[in-house]
Amino acid sequence: MSSPINKKTLEHLAELARIKLNTQEEEKLLQDLQKILEHFEELKTLDTAGVEPMSGGGGLKNIFRDDAAAENTNQRAGIEQFPDKQDDYLKVPPVFE
Amino acid sequence: MATVLENLTLKSFHEGLVNKKFSALEITQAVFSHIKNTDKQIGAYLSLNENGAIKDAEKVDVAIARGENIGYLAGASLAVKDNILIDGLPATAASKILENYVASYDAGVIKKLKSENAVFLGKANLDEFAMGSSTENSGFKITKNPHDHERVPGGSSGGSAAAVAAHMAIAALGSDTGGSIRLPASFCGVVGLGPTYGSVSRSGLIAMTSSLDQIGPITKTVEDSAILFKAISGGDSMDSTNANRSYGDELLNPNLDSIKGLTVGLPDEYFGEGISAEVRSGVETAIEKIKSLGLKFKKISLPHTKYALSCYYIIVPAEVSSNSARYDGIRYSRNTEHAPQNTKLYDIYLKQRGVGFGPEPKRRIILGTFVLSSGYYDSYYDKAQRVRTLIKKDFDEAFKEVDVMLTPVAPTTAFKIGEKANDPISMYLADTFTIPLKLAGLPAISIPVKQYKVGSKELPVGFQLIGKHWREVDILGLGQYYEKL
Repeated sequence: MSSPINKKTLEHLAELARIKLNTQEEEKLLQDLQKILEHFEELKTLDTAGVEPMSGGGGLKNIFRDDAAAENTNQRAGIEQFPDKQDDYLKVPPVFE
Repeated sequence: MATVLENLTLKSFHEGLVNKKFSALEITQAVFSHIKNTDKQIGAYLSLNENGAIKDAEKVDVAIARGENIGYLAGASLAVKDNILIDGLPATAASKILENYVASYDAGVIKKLKSENAVFLGKANLDEFAMGSSTENSGFKITKNPHDHERVPGGSSGGSAAAVAAHMAIAALGSDTGGSIRLPASFCGVVGLGPTYGSVSRSGLIAMTSSLDQIGPITKTVEDSAILFKAISGGDSMDSTNANRSYGDELLNPNLDSIKGLTVGLPDEYFGEGISAEVRSGVETAIEKIKSLGLKFKKISLPHTKYALSCYYIIVPAEVSSNSARYDGIRYSRNTEHAPQNTKLYDIYLKQRGVGFGPEPKRRIILGTFVLSSGYYDSYYDKAQRVRTLIKKDFDEAFKEVDVMLTPVAPTTAFKIGEKANDPISMYLADTFTIPLKLAGLPAISIPVKQYKVGSKELPVGFQLIGKHWREVDILGLGQYYEKL
């Protein structure tokens, strides 16, 4: 059976995830991912029709706090860690060319 | 002083402090001098907070001199895993991408511990972003097992467990996603509790897998585990997955009659092949000792156990890929080295993330991107979520017949550094027994049994007690009576 991940899909995924990989990393990762996906095949033998998917950890629902205004900011501490800034805004290169 | 540190638990430290056998400052200074002698060989800490810790210890001594009442944790020297934020201290999660990040607020658990006047010694090493089972994946250094420096301490909270085992902290905080507290506790011969999902605030815990992550204590005794867990559990309005439940004093004073009335389940699937002779013998020893307390045992079955690892390694990378998107190498870092001027933003992301993340985060982010991608979502992510329901139902059914379950923590004792580093699947298998219950949101504790000669060194073996949701009192209670035997 051919693996759902090949060199081309891996390159596409790396681009989507915004991770630059060198050739060596790519080769190792491709091998690892193919092996891992092969391991996942065992799940296909399980019949899960009619089983509800479980999301979240504890079945907790709608945990709200009081809708009360409060002064709660540490914006300054974040701004101080910007590598480059202008008027307290994070300065980055243009997003569009 | 070294022997004093070796015998120091949270409980005995508190008693010594109150009875003026020593001051908080004396102990804090002794721990730092021990760290300076010992941590060169072990590598448990990524950064130290010596000035802050000394000041906080002095404050506790002043309070005692004034005759004020102090709590169990006042002045107690703790190590904190470096994925938990303490305002003003580095929080790297052992990742190069957060190398220069300094936390701008306190995690929920840190707020609670500060209100108890605990002392924070420093930040402990981990597998990068808590992704791993050996602490070899740290972006900065490898932590050694204090029992044998050629072996791993387990992971991902390996720094926290090694610090406690080598007496470089009285107790520590770790975080547990699939076994990250219990596995290193077992490998290092200390006690580790992975609490019920929703019992401890995740605010200020750098998120790896939001539906599984929980902070918990790593301690020398089960009694200390109960003390530290009671202090960090409970409500926090900054965490919308926190159930806002508090635990009673029964955690610290378990009732022997109710403990004797518990039925212990032994799941068949956890005692099959692949378990080392030392682990088998250790767990059998624990079972015999618990039988001597008069508890009933019952064989049970958790039929979907073998699917848990695949289920976990789909759900975790999926959440990792989403949680890691925020690390653009800009916002949490002053690191401009890889972001020269006049490059496009897109190229900065590629470079920063390419250089900043180590191999395991990269593997998980890309795998997660894949299992969530169009065309594969149903056959992987959705499938895994349904399997997660089946695994949870196994536990729900079995817990109708028993009150707690007893299992091994890991198939083997601590493995050698480098032994599994190049084979992710064999590394993932170290968590076979710690993962399934996490998918069900259950609490579990790893308790040391004894040590076995492996090669030329003595290595610890632990056993795991799994409790019902919110029933930490059962596993901590049984554990406390076990350690008195």
